[in-house]
Amino acid sequence: MPTNHTYASLLRANAWARKSSDAFYWQCTTRTVQESKLFPVNPYIALSYLNAWYRWPGLIRKIEAARPAEELGDRARCDGSYANTVTLGLIPQFYLGGRQILLDMGLLQPTDAVDDVLCVLDFAERCSLAYHRAHAHGLPSDAGHRAQILPERWAQVFEADALGVIPGDRLHTALTRFLATASAYGFLSHCECRLSFNNHGPYRTAGGGEMLVRDLIDLAECDYPWMDDVAAAIEVNNLTIPVIMKDTHFHIVDDWGSFEASPSYDSANIVGIGLYTSDFLADGFEPVHMNSASELAEYLDHLRETMMAATTDMWTMMAGWSREQMIDAGLLVYYAVIKDLAHYAGVYEQEDWFTVDERVQRFKPLFNDEYGNSVIAETVGLVSMRSQTWSEYHMAKFSDARGELWTPVPYSVLADDEWTATVGPMQPGSSSLPAKTERYTTTRGKLTQAECNRLAREFRPAAWELRWYDDDTWIKNHADDPRAHELYRAAQAKSHTLNGRGAGVQQGDLGELREGATR
Amino acid sequence: MSGTPTSEDSRAPHGDKWPRTSATPIVEQYHRAIRRLMADRLASSGRKWEEVVHDPDFLSRPDFERIEADLLATGYRFEMSAVVSLKESPEKYKPVAEREVAESSQTDELGRAVVGSGANVFRADHDVTGTARFVSSVEKVMELLSEGVPEDTIAVIDDSGGTLTAPILGEFAGVICLGGTVRSHLGILTREHGVPCLMAATLDGLRDGDEVEVEYSRPAADAYATAEDGAEHRARIIKLS
Repeated sequence: MPTNHTYASLLRANAWARKSSDAFYWQCTTRTVQESKLFPVNPYIALSYLNAWYRWPGLIRKIEAARPAEELGDRARCDGSYANTVTLGLIPQFYLGGRQILLDMGLLQPTDAVDDVLCVLDFAERCSLAYHRAHAHGLPSDAGHRAQILPERWAQVFEADALGVIPGDRLHTALTRFLATASAYGFLSHCECRLSFNNHGPYRTAGGGEMLVRDLIDLAECDYPWMDDVAAAIEVNNLTIPVIMKDTHFHIVDDWGSFEASPSYDSANIVGIGLYTSDFLADGFEPVHMNSASELAEYLDHLRETMMAATTDMWTMMAGWSREQMIDAGLLVYYAVIKDLAHYAGVYEQEDWFTVDERVQRFKPLFNDEYGNSVIAETVGLVSMRSQTWSEYHMAKFSDARGELWTPVPYSVLADDEWTATVGPMQPGSSSLPAKTERYTTTRGKLTQAECNRLAREFRPAAWELRWYDDDTWIKNHADDPRAHELYRAAQAKSHTLNGRGAGVQQGDLGELREGATR
Repeated sequence: MSGTPTSEDSRAPHGDKWPRTSATPIVEQYHRAIRRLMADRLASSGRKWEEVVHDPDFLSRPDFERIEADLLATGYRFEMSAVVSLKESPEKYKPVAEREVAESSQTDELGRAVVGSGANVFRADHDVTGTARFVSSVEKVMELLSEGVPEDTIAVIDDSGGTLTAPILGEFAGVICLGGTVRSHLGILTREHGVPCLMAATLDGLRDGDEVEVEYSRPAADAYATAEDGAEHRARIIKLS
């Protein structure tokens, strides 16, 4: 008996997989190569793919039973959380990466786990499309490497409330020092990967400047068990920093949230900044110590010093880890890239996201450094595994090679019974790391897992019922509509400059409004 | 016929019209061994593919341990990338080769020895003079963390990642990284810290403790440059004493 999937759904799934394959190839071969003498990076990356293969279908079904993918994308669009450009775009990559390695080992056929594959790809596509709704793309690479996530109402608040800086002043100095410390801290807390950072934009600002919105994620005691205690003194878990630049054009803001500018990014060109926090329990972006430039500078200095101490403590702890602990930590950082979707849905459970499935544990004897490096290089860069090789006529996008990263699902599953549906339900897992014991840092304080889930299920943002009107296309013709004013006032509720102004403000009004605002 | 699976290849659970050998020996060895094992076990089990494909006990941990052991039994030893791997299982990894230091073969305009070069991450205001200190182990970082980083240290790091030196990176006067590219994590971090840095550096006679001057004021390397163009614009490391 064939599958009950439609031809259309299979066509769409294979197209999304191919788009993902092409985008990932470009990213992997042009943007960076990860390596570390501290962490066995590639072994943990490959194992994370396998954990995603076995566990994500069940977890995604669990998430979507509580909240649809489109709602999750809509919520995440107006927050700076771990549900973002990078992580949503990685859903097909990590999941299909696991599938591809198993295909190459001969442990799967392309016709296996068809229901799972279509479920994951369909979820990823709908969630990404909703998240990227404001610019009507699915990935930044679709937009020529640009990620304009925010509608005007939020971009306008960021620009209006930005505190002016000039090189050498206290706030400018505090910001540049803070970003350096936070970058090192983020690489370390995320076991050498860059998932602690996301950037989106650019957004054009008054006078021809450009604004890049920089997210720093999971900074405090959060889902990662190893941040218990060492990150206890950090009060905020996520930070969003809108940075307004002069004389700088961001020509690449890519699928991994990294950027390139021309001329090169130079902090001397920063003219305005803000600082916000948000998460799955926040009603959009909440200003952090933005009452004055001196208050913000003082807070950034305080946070930098706290992070420097946390970096030393965390490094000392990690340097004493066994290889297995390093593997598990990195594996779980990668595998858990979509954990915040479970937070938004109110179904987050620590053991779902921070244990290694027993079906994956069995492969660990294979994953020495050389095999990890080689299998990742072949899978995502060289595209040289047997299972990735196609006919002599085939020419891949970008490389013209006769291979593709990810193998599609054959259409034969619509016609015969040679297929399987699923890898099965979630299986038990384990971890060599100490279990999480501390509470989760949120915008509503430090909460237990049960409190996080209950509040997430109860929470609806203020303008949630108006989400069908929350785009610039409708606003263009309805700026006087009460619904438009309500949407804008929700974003402006904590704005020094725009509080209560509504939908009629133009970019050209901001200078005058800023002068009139007391701060 | 070219491309037809050999009899050895055909010991896989399924046919493949377009087989190839993997680009790296270890992926080829491991995956071929797993395909053979799966094919043999499937044939001997009398069960259908659909019945075993999602059964984690059909191939279990001892099977994968045996595959690793079989490879090691041939005398094969793995390349190490993380120091912890070699430290915990020295019997499985190739030992780290001692760094060979030859005398420098080049001099600059003033007749001083040019002991290396690299891709400049960003253009600093001025060149930097300092003491080259090799930082390539957890123990060395721990020592610098507890005793403090000596002033004017130009760290020579053979790791383009951002974690090994995370707690002390901002204290270096300069960095010379023996791998990676200007886009690597270490490149990103040194730029954020404002610590001058050369990536993808090659050395020609540099020794631990040498006093050096590094041309960090040269233009930043073009990430898109060809290898030839990039080589022409590399910043030099000049030995002073």
